Amino acid sequence: MKRFGRIVAVVTLVVFMLSLVLVFSPSEKAFSSAGGTKKIVFWHITTDAVGKQMIQNQVNRFMKANPGFKVEVVPLQNDAFKTKLKIAMGSNQAPDVFVTWGGGPFFEYVKGGKVKDITVYMNENGYKNRFIDASFGPITYNNKIWAVPVEGAGVALVWYNKEIFKKYNLKVPTTYDEFLDLIKKLKAKGITPISLANKTKWPGCEWYWYLVDRLGGPSVFEKAAERNGGSFADPTFIKAGEMLQNLVKMGAFVKGFNGLDYDTGQSRMLLYSGKAAMELMGTWQIPIMKAENKKFYENNLDFFPFPAIKGGKGDPSNLIGMASSNYYAVTTTCKYPKEAFKMIQYLIDDQAVKERIAYGQIPPVKGLKFTDPMLQKVYNLIAKAKSVQLWWDQYLPPQLAEVHKDIVQSLFGLTITPKAAAEKMEKAAKDYFKK
Amino acid sequence: MGKERSAKLWHNMGILLFLAPALILIGVYIIWPIIMSFNLSRFDWDGISPQKIYVGFKNWIDLMHDTIFWHALGNNIKFIILSLVIEMPIAILLAVLLDRGGKKFDIFKSLFYLPMLMSSVAIGVLFKYIYDPQFGLLSGILNFLHLDFLAQDWLGDPKIAFYSVVAVICWQYIPFYMIFFIAALSNIPQELYEAAKIDGATQGQYFWKIELPLLSPSIKTACILSLIGSLKYFDLIYVMTEGGPSNATELMATYMYKSAFASFKMGYGSTIASAMFIIITTAGIVAYFATRQKEA
Repeated sequence: MKRFGRIVAVVTLVVFMLSLVLVFSPSEKAFSSAGGTKKIVFWHITTDAVGKQMIQNQVNRFMKANPGFKVEVVPLQNDAFKTKLKIAMGSNQAPDVFVTWGGGPFFEYVKGGKVKDITVYMNENGYKNRFIDASFGPITYNNKIWAVPVEGAGVALVWYNKEIFKKYNLKVPTTYDEFLDLIKKLKAKGITPISLANKTKWPGCEWYWYLVDRLGGPSVFEKAAERNGGSFADPTFIKAGEMLQNLVKMGAFVKGFNGLDYDTGQSRMLLYSGKAAMELMGTWQIPIMKAENKKFYENNLDFFPFPAIKGGKGDPSNLIGMASSNYYAVTTTCKYPKEAFKMIQYLIDDQAVKERIAYGQIPPVKGLKFTDPMLQKVYNLIAKAKSVQLWWDQYLPPQLAEVHKDIVQSLFGLTITPKAAAEKMEKAAKDYFKK
Repeated sequence: MGKERSAKLWHNMGILLFLAPALILIGVYIIWPIIMSFNLSRFDWDGISPQKIYVGFKNWIDLMHDTIFWHALGNNIKFIILSLVIEMPIAILLAVLLDRGGKKFDIFKSLFYLPMLMSSVAIGVLFKYIYDPQFGLLSGILNFLHLDFLAQDWLGDPKIAFYSVVAVICWQYIPFYMIFFIAALSNIPQELYEAAKIDGATQGQYFWKIELPLLSPSIKTACILSLIGSLKYFDLIYVMTEGGPSNATELMATYMYKSAFASFKMGYGSTIASAMFIIITTAGIVAYFATRQKEA
């Protein structure tokens, strides 16, 4: 009996050791080469039911035309994706194709040698000319193109409830003074002028960015961020901070904005219910609102560009955001870069463009016509914009972007003065670039 | 003699053999990452690029001067005190009440335990809606009771946000300690109560003279658990406020996460993690010995 126990023990040990060996041995190859199919792993962040299906359909068309390939499509939640991608890249488990917004965080991956240079593919047969020129800004680094523009334009605009404006006979403001006047009128009627969900900090930043742009033009920020003659302690930044805090003090924003969450729709609900009249937000809100509250989208929703500031140097046609909101990049670890690029092309070919417009996006492709007047209006605005400045939190290196977002949230919370805020940002920028 | 020894050897081998899976797992998934973190804390690394820049103790020196980190540690300490003061008395009270109620109250044991069964993320999202200053349940109830003046900007006001979040965490963890104490109470011999009854003890005397003294070892253990839990707390805070607004609810763990994964400062994040390891281990050991001495 005792001997039997020993035998069991030894067998257990052997099995355990064997399983360990199996766990630690690289088995990925064994799976992917089975049956001669080649695998492309593709991560994206379109998680709503309609969008997810749309992308899957586009990928399916690629797989049908290329029978040797199997694409594993992995839709991920926005914030989970950012962390997951970072860990995957750091531990050499990267997907073959991934979504990106370009700019500072993306260039970290480019600098780390994780992203494939696709300039050659983009120039083949003039493929590049298919896209709006402005869409290449956030993905061009060292004069090379690192990703394909695919998903719709995302620029920040002031959305408002038409119904409320009609009911109280209010006019869409074109200047900042008119805008302030509008806020006062709305307040007098007992309506919260502006909805804002600032827990994640970037929604509030959009206000600050526009104020800086309208006051000083896009170059003020660019010079400060590039450290070529500019400074974040420039009077323009201080002035923008003052104007921002002025809005907070006059009660323009909804109560509790610093604790509300955009991702769970807490700011949009205020618009739907008519409790708040306006919200400054990116155009990605179009498909979301269309899906969440179709009636509101069709009857009550409209938008206007950020008003001009008297004496400000920024052109009122300037926009903040990007001509394309989501780009797709190929990693250097991808075994079939050419085919991966081909797969991305299926996401934005003519059929895909049709599907994307129906979904509510404005593809970054030249010469489009829209049946939805809202989309046509946005497209026209982007086409005639003097500048489309990339979101600062994507433009800046990630470390500075986090500092910047924290500072602006504190400005909103009135826990820091505009002057101290500007100096704090300048100090952070100096510390960062000195290295 | 020789046979006996070899039997003993076999016996020890057997112990080692059955411990091996656990030891290897602990080694690979706990000990090794801790060593790696300490190692990484000496590098400037963005978490992606193949090259890490050796900076020696620069990260540690930066940490010493980092006001946000000290602020976060302060919040952790505030959090420990609040959890002890709020969670323990309520948990003891509930446990005693449920214990005295006997079988009739079994349903409440399950009901009260529910918060502990929910995922922290779900609780976080739920309470974000409850705290919503416009549509939230809490503001709604206050309005209904004509207590509008009590309604606050629960998660958006830096002065209040911390307490709002701590209240939710206490709500989630009280059931855990409650069950812990109920288990301890059920170990108290029935004879003690019977003896007290013969002596004519009141309900209050039951509590102060029998239950509380006999619970005290469990209370000490619960306090250490709570202390360590509070020091490394992360999830609900991250879901509800992400440490904001303006770092008002920042804890060491949320700050570590943000440094490593949002700001691409993996080396600095590892430094915070290592500092947390040192602080928590020290606090745990000190608390353990402090409570042991009293027992002796």
